[in-house]
Amino acid sequence: MKYKPLLLKIMRITFLQSILVFSIMGSVYANGVKAQAVLDTKISIKETDSQLRLVLQKLGKEYQIEFVYSPDIINEKLVVNVDMRRKKLSDVLRKILQPLNLSFDMVGDVIVIRNFNGDPENVPFSSTTWSSSEAQANQSERIIPVEAQVVITGKVTDEKGEAIPGVTVRHKETGKAQATDVNGEYTMVLPEAAGTLSFSFLGYQTKDVVIGSDRSINITLVAVNGNLNEVVVVGYGTQKRSEIAGAISSVKASDMKDQQITRIDDALQGRVPGVSVVQSSGAPGSGPSIHIRGVTSINNSDPLYVIDGVVVDNGGIDNINPSDIASIDVLKDAAAAIYGSRSSAGVILITTKKGKPGAPVLTYDGNYGLQNPIHKVQLTNAAQYTTLRNEAVTNDGGTAPFANPSGYGTGTNWQNVIFGKNVPIQNHNITVSGGSDKSTYYTSFGYLDQQGIILPSIANYKRANFTINTSSKIVNWLTIGENLSMDYGKSQLSLNANGSNNSGPLTSALMLDPLTPVVVTDINAQPNAAVYNNPNYAPYLAYDPQGHPYGISNYVQNAASNPLAYVQNQQGYSWQTNIFGNVFVELRPIAGLTIRSQISTKVAYYGTRSFTPLYFLSLGDNNLTINHQYEESDRNITINWDNTVNYARSFGLHKFTLLAGTNIQNEGGHGLNGNFYGEPVTSFSQASPNFSIADINKIANGNDAQPYRLASVFGRLIYDYDQKYLLNVTVRRDGSSKFGTNNIYGVFPSAEAGYVISREKFFPRDNFVDFLKIRGSYGVLGNERPLGTFAYTTTIGGGRNAIFGDNGVALGSNPNGLANPDLRWEQVKMSDIGFDAIIFKDFNISFDAYHKVNSGMLDNPQLPSYVGATADPSVNVGDMLNKGLELSVNYNQKIGQVHLNAGGNIAYNQNKITSLTRYKTYGAIGGGSNLEIQRTTVGQPYQEFYGYQELGVFRSQGEINAYKNSSGGLIQPNAKPGDFKWADLNSDGTINTDDRKFLGQSTAPYSYGINLSATYKQFDLKVFGQGVWGNMIAQDYRRLDYPGSNYQIAAVNSWTPTNSNSNYPRLTDNDPNGNFKNFSNFYLQSGAYFRIKTFQLGYTLPEELIKRANMKKVRIYLSVNNLATITKYNGYDPEISGGIDYAVYPQARTFILGLNVSL
Amino acid sequence: MVSCKKYLETTPKGQFLLSNYYSTKAQAFAGVVACYNVLPYNYYAYLVALNGASDDSYTGGGNSGDQSGMQAFNNYPLINSGSGTADVFWYSLYNGVANTNVIIHALPSVPALPTDSLNRYMGESKFFRAYYYFDLVRLFKNIPLILEPLTTGNAYTQLQVAPSAIYAQIEDDLKAAIPGLPPTVPAGENGRVTQGTARALLGKVYLYEQKWTLAAEQLTQVNGTPGGVSQYGYKLLPNYADIFALNNKFSSESIYEVGQSNVVANFSNNYTQYIGPRGSTVPFWYTGGYGFNPITPDLVNLMKSDPRYPYTMINMDSLAKATKTSYQPSFQNTGYFTRKYAPITTEHTTFGWGNNFIIIRLADTYLMEAEALVQGGGDKQRAQALLDAVRARVKLPSIPASLTNIYTERRLELAQEGNRWFDLVRTGQAATALAGKGFKAGLNEILPIPQHDLNNTKLKQNPGYR
Repeated sequence: MKYKPLLLKIMRITFLQSILVFSIMGSVYANGVKAQAVLDTKISIKETDSQLRLVLQKLGKEYQIEFVYSPDIINEKLVVNVDMRRKKLSDVLRKILQPLNLSFDMVGDVIVIRNFNGDPENVPFSSTTWSSSEAQANQSERIIPVEAQVVITGKVTDEKGEAIPGVTVRHKETGKAQATDVNGEYTMVLPEAAGTLSFSFLGYQTKDVVIGSDRSINITLVAVNGNLNEVVVVGYGTQKRSEIAGAISSVKASDMKDQQITRIDDALQGRVPGVSVVQSSGAPGSGPSIHIRGVTSINNSDPLYVIDGVVVDNGGIDNINPSDIASIDVLKDAAAAIYGSRSSAGVILITTKKGKPGAPVLTYDGNYGLQNPIHKVQLTNAAQYTTLRNEAVTNDGGTAPFANPSGYGTGTNWQNVIFGKNVPIQNHNITVSGGSDKSTYYTSFGYLDQQGIILPSIANYKRANFTINTSSKIVNWLTIGENLSMDYGKSQLSLNANGSNNSGPLTSALMLDPLTPVVVTDINAQPNAAVYNNPNYAPYLAYDPQGHPYGISNYVQNAASNPLAYVQNQQGYSWQTNIFGNVFVELRPIAGLTIRSQISTKVAYYGTRSFTPLYFLSLGDNNLTINHQYEESDRNITINWDNTVNYARSFGLHKFTLLAGTNIQNEGGHGLNGNFYGEPVTSFSQASPNFSIADINKIANGNDAQPYRLASVFGRLIYDYDQKYLLNVTVRRDGSSKFGTNNIYGVFPSAEAGYVISREKFFPRDNFVDFLKIRGSYGVLGNERPLGTFAYTTTIGGGRNAIFGDNGVALGSNPNGLANPDLRWEQVKMSDIGFDAIIFKDFNISFDAYHKVNSGMLDNPQLPSYVGATADPSVNVGDMLNKGLELSVNYNQKIGQVHLNAGGNIAYNQNKITSLTRYKTYGAIGGGSNLEIQRTTVGQPYQEFYGYQELGVFRSQGEINAYKNSSGGLIQPNAKPGDFKWADLNSDGTINTDDRKFLGQSTAPYSYGINLSATYKQFDLKVFGQGVWGNMIAQDYRRLDYPGSNYQIAAVNSWTPTNSNSNYPRLTDNDPNGNFKNFSNFYLQSGAYFRIKTFQLGYTLPEELIKRANMKKVRIYLSVNNLATITKYNGYDPEISGGIDYAVYPQARTFILGLNVSL
Repeated sequence: MVSCKKYLETTPKGQFLLSNYYSTKAQAFAGVVACYNVLPYNYYAYLVALNGASDDSYTGGGNSGDQSGMQAFNNYPLINSGSGTADVFWYSLYNGVANTNVIIHALPSVPALPTDSLNRYMGESKFFRAYYYFDLVRLFKNIPLILEPLTTGNAYTQLQVAPSAIYAQIEDDLKAAIPGLPPTVPAGENGRVTQGTARALLGKVYLYEQKWTLAAEQLTQVNGTPGGVSQYGYKLLPNYADIFALNNKFSSESIYEVGQSNVVANFSNNYTQYIGPRGSTVPFWYTGGYGFNPITPDLVNLMKSDPRYPYTMINMDSLAKATKTSYQPSFQNTGYFTRKYAPITTEHTTFGWGNNFIIIRLADTYLMEAEALVQGGGDKQRAQALLDAVRARVKLPSIPASLTNIYTERRLELAQEGNRWFDLVRTGQAATALAGKGFKAGLNEILPIPQHDLNNTKLKQNPGYR
């Protein structure tokens, strides 16, 4: 049955019609749709012994369609007998033609009648000239006269021989044009075999071919320089970079592979304009904070992560091994609307690596590095410290506590105690992948072991990843596959995060006085000998291996403690195991149509194990009553079911892709924890819940995550005409269990349009502009993630209990708060205009300007407390604006044997709060010292620094006396020489909290990145740098509530009568003038920096050398992370999130030796 | 789409929705229990602050900034809107009011609720609404009267009413409550409100309103024959030391007692933790704490020779000496610490301390009735008998039942139990007694309305406060 394929084609068309609705694009697709629609038209026909030719002519006339056929196969002898009512034209044709051993096919706008003899794919168009039997005198002028027609066919492929669909084939002389089909094939019906065919396609060099005698013209197009042919993941599908009209940035595996990162989000830093990635801590395993186009909301501004098409929880990407990533695509503008109510802060689409057809490939990537602190803060030594303490105490009218400061020498340098030297980090990844054209597989194993540079003996992070995925094409229309990844991570508690504000070992190192020895060998020489000698404490002090107690400060206590003693009490770790998997089935019943169904789950198991022994660190930090073991174990599970139908088709130069889909998501989880007091042990290694202890000393707690469900439908139309006019329209309707009773569903539409002006005829050729696309987009995005479950209604809370009788618990319950049935998502309106260009052949440029308004930000306006509600309701109040500019430039060139790639990007974002609820007092965001440091106010950026303005130091009483208000009184009557002169900003003649102002932004408005890579013969060099400017950092290292804390070296220059020119105020603990207590510009420094993140030199062994060992590639490299940082900031690390540096765990400088091997 | 909507309709775990709650007897009872819930968590703060506000003790604590809201109570010029603990009083009491309004509103429509349960639950709820409003009107005077659950629609528009209207509502609630309440409860229900509890409170309310006759009328029913057993089974304990003894919870003298526990999580007595001396190095029988409410020398001197002295305070300095230990003298240290609610070392568990709070006890109602009789020209002999009974219990001789003597007896008998400050204000002695703490007559008798509740509402600040 050789005609089957052809029949199938016809059937495909009808099948399609039944599942997709075409009407919405009727006008756009006038021609193509017409032919389609005509085939579907229901007609009634009755012919008896009529000539086929005449029947076709009649049908052609009636339905405005052109039939093309050879007089050889349709002659006057062929007659038709048919009687059909209300049948589709296609069915009618089949009925008529089949008995005559003829078939038909739609080619472009015409219906070609063919003979079944021979191969239906090739025969009809090989050499014969086809024409209709009758002159088409009565046809409309659209119909090409078919006499003397030439049919030219062919296939367009790229350099690798892969078909290119959508290539415009234009006959220059007649202007007749069409696009290649999904197989890269075309059929041109021309009046004569003459003229030139021009093959053009975005991202490829245009090729012209003069039509000769050959009726089959196959063409190979050569790609142009740049990224136009890159495949971009757009959510539920992919598009070519050249054809997208939205602002989507990408990072490919090849960009990442040379940067030794431990987390995938780090790969985005400095690579993508508009995506701010700020390390919140240099501690092993800690994640950065990521903002796409600024802080989107006062609530949740984290982007949405989608891994292989599966939406994963916030921050749920810790478990992904960076070496398994094929690409990361970032939807920055309205393109994100396809993810509806969770899209407002941008979407990060992660695609993992899959196997490729071919022999198995094994790769090994491994490296070993040594980490060291980049910078230490200069603090005073013992002699300086005692001098300054004397100064501070005497300035407050006290007696100098230290008789002979110079006699104390240098003392202890606590930073040297906590920072490790050459702290190791290692990372190993092995992958095996391969497959046939029917089935592919990819499997990998990764292992990371990193110690922290602060107290490396206990600060460590270990992670193991395992991934396997396969994909099998069972038959040509059915593909099934799965992806499974598992990981285990283990992290030391608390040290990694440096505890909370102003505590932990780093803070201790900054605050502890240099007088306290690390280890005390002579207790009685210590000023606080009584503490060591106290029989109640002595058993619980920490001792070094020689049995000497670690020093306990006599001057600084509570949050500061000897780090080496502290280490002994930090016992335990947190762990996590994630299982992330999906299975999918994909049907391709006809060309261009893909039906996909995918079920995925993410199961996260995580927990904590810790032990607090009896210990004594200081009078303020000890546990002398009972030891405590804590065990916690939790499980979260998310299930997603996605179904999509995608149909791509072109008619002439019109190309469209239609997507329709559904998603349901279900999230839940639960956990248990237990506390075990008074086990008969002294350390974590001995502790176990197996010990028999009194029931009252076992306290268990549990939790159930509240259910969270989403149900969504979405659709998208991607259309382009001649790759010149681009259009992308999406809409998503999300239903969420978090939405209020009055807003169960939210609709999130978006549209993107592009205009490739360089494809216009009028666009000058041989210009320096090789490609230019102007694009714009607008969309409505949502942010439902700040919504709590059941926030829209009033729940009954338990725990309002009472005790009746002797220890009898009566359980009480009560409404939690007031209902807000109108509760809904935050709505973000996003507009973007931009362009992509290639100039001078080798420069790729991309530019965007955007405007993003979040309205209805969620907050909790305060109810008067007389309402008696236990919580303030969530209400949609507050607006925020972000606007900005993004520019990226990339240069790619081969000069002799040097292949050079250089790029840079820069972004500017301005954030502004435009509205907040009046039913809430916004203000204080305390820093470590409980100062109000930042404020969120209408008209200002989110969390801007807010405080006093110092005008230098009063150098004399005369200057104080001269600082008068309008009524002649002193503005600062209590000031003494050496105190700050405060600006009287409201000119009321006194200094109080009303004299504060906004002092600078805490988030950098400008960020940029540069990268350079060059290869020369066997050598390669990579340099990658990144920086920000425009922000301020508040340095909050010294806790004022511990007056004995050590000083930074700048304090040596503090004002004294003999150092009266200093602008550093006089030292004082009481601080009556607020020199230190008042938060002012004194604490602020510029947060600008530029950092060489990666500097790498590689050498690839010559092929002839490794061929003998059957190896494909062997490369060794030497790399430095964080080689150099240019900054004026004098703290540990200018790269901190939130702008307040309370001694954040700094990043390390790492020297790495690495090896890549492929077999 | 219908099935989709259903899919999105989730029900919370471990919580009910208000929309379908209060549909069983158990749920109705849970709503009543919630009315009891305010005092176990907040009463410690009333004690620390109001004891510190009186002339019996100071606030104390770690330093002058330790619990600044509480510090303001013994440094009156510091009391201002937003000074912390006054705000805590306001919101915890109104939280209590809201709890009672919810259940009073819900009870009539609870299906199949037996009438006696309905009456008892309603009685308990109304008792608490009266209790909370009584504290609110005593502390803040000019307050909104809210009798229904509020909504987002009327949350910001409540108005203050005359104190007399509040008192009228308190009387109504208590009078309505009494008939439905049981005269006594079985041991397992100790701590639940009884007829006696409600009558005692009603008598106290009348006393504050200076409705002397009505006060005496109610209190007589609570007290019965002085020294004997009253109709509700109340009887003075023979031994004063047993009143606050941990093994003697819900004694015959206790009229309203708030249950705490050292074996149930979240029910430890914070006051006990607060009053222990700081950093006592060797824990002896009286263990360490935060050093709050050191006793004033004034009260020490007054009580030195009183038999109740050793059960009211401990002399920490001499104790430390005797046990060869030490403690850290903290802010406003006098060396004397509170003995009632004492942090007994052996009673401490991982949950804390389990001392119950005694809010109204028989000696208090005896003395209140005596006062009402004297003030209202009632039965003098009975007044004398009531005073004598209180004194005889600690082997003190009879003294004339004059107003002054009754006041002094109240101070001695009820020291550190949270009554003194109210008594000073109620009887007009505050300005004199508290002059040293900066008390200003005409201002400090009531507290400022929290600034939080002045923002965006129709409430006005009490006169004299800014």
